[in-house]
Amino acid sequence: MTEGVAGRLEHYMDLLSLRQKLVASNIANADTPGYKTRDIDFQREFRNRIAGTAPAVEEVSGLEVKQDGNNVSMDREARLLAENTMRFNLAANLARIELRTVRSAIEEGRSG
Amino acid sequence: MSLFSLLSVSGSGMSAQRARAQLLVENLANAETTRTPQGGPYRRKDAVFAAEPAPSPFASVFEAETGAAGTGVRVAEVIEDTREPEKKYLPGHPDADAEGYVAFPRINPAEDMVDLMSAARGYEANVAAIVAVKDMINRSIDLLR
Repeated sequence: MTEGVAGRLEHYMDLLSLRQKLVASNIANADTPGYKTRDIDFQREFRNRIAGTAPAVEEVSGLEVKQDGNNVSMDREARLLAENTMRFNLAANLARIELRTVRSAIEEGRSG
Repeated sequence: MSLFSLLSVSGSGMSAQRARAQLLVENLANAETTRTPQGGPYRRKDAVFAAEPAPSPFASVFEAETGAAGTGVRVAEVIEDTREPEKKYLPGHPDADAEGYVAFPRINPAEDMVDLMSAARGYEANVAAIVAVKDMINRSIDLLR
């Protein structure tokens, strides 16, 4: 019964942690010459994830390239860092509620 | 993909920025050093960073194959300034040449201070990433309670 919602939440959290990893990489390489910002198309990859395909990491276009060929925008990464954490917390809370429902069903059944 | 491997990505960023800050502080300390073990005045040093797969002992082969693994950073090389040293006319100085000129390092404290600030900000950004990831890990652990 929980397969649907809990399963999707799992995919969602999994994908968020991948995105967070890319954000952490981008921040770590903010001063690396020639490094290009990497990210995933979240909407598309979430749909692919449910279908079972591995996510594709791509370079982000449209960012200002600095003189050393690096295009990491700290503002963008800081925003994504905060956004991913909040989304993840939300998903974790939803998953906990989901698990609590199952647990209470089990416990109610036992007492009756 | 494990959240724990994110910590090593940000950790590599922190150590790279710290190594850079160390070189910059060294530059400031040696701004007027006229003697070095290699001979001649001190030369300004700077770090060049390179991206590399995060050093995680548990990183799975699959992640490396799909390119989903986090990219850490390391100090690829330390470059020395190749510009000619600055000559100052100080005939009484023990390191003065035959014409009375002393070779001083070509170091601009403003340049190093600005780079130092950038290194400190980079370090802070990596710390912020670790805090965010730590929060996510704690939330995941809370699911078990």
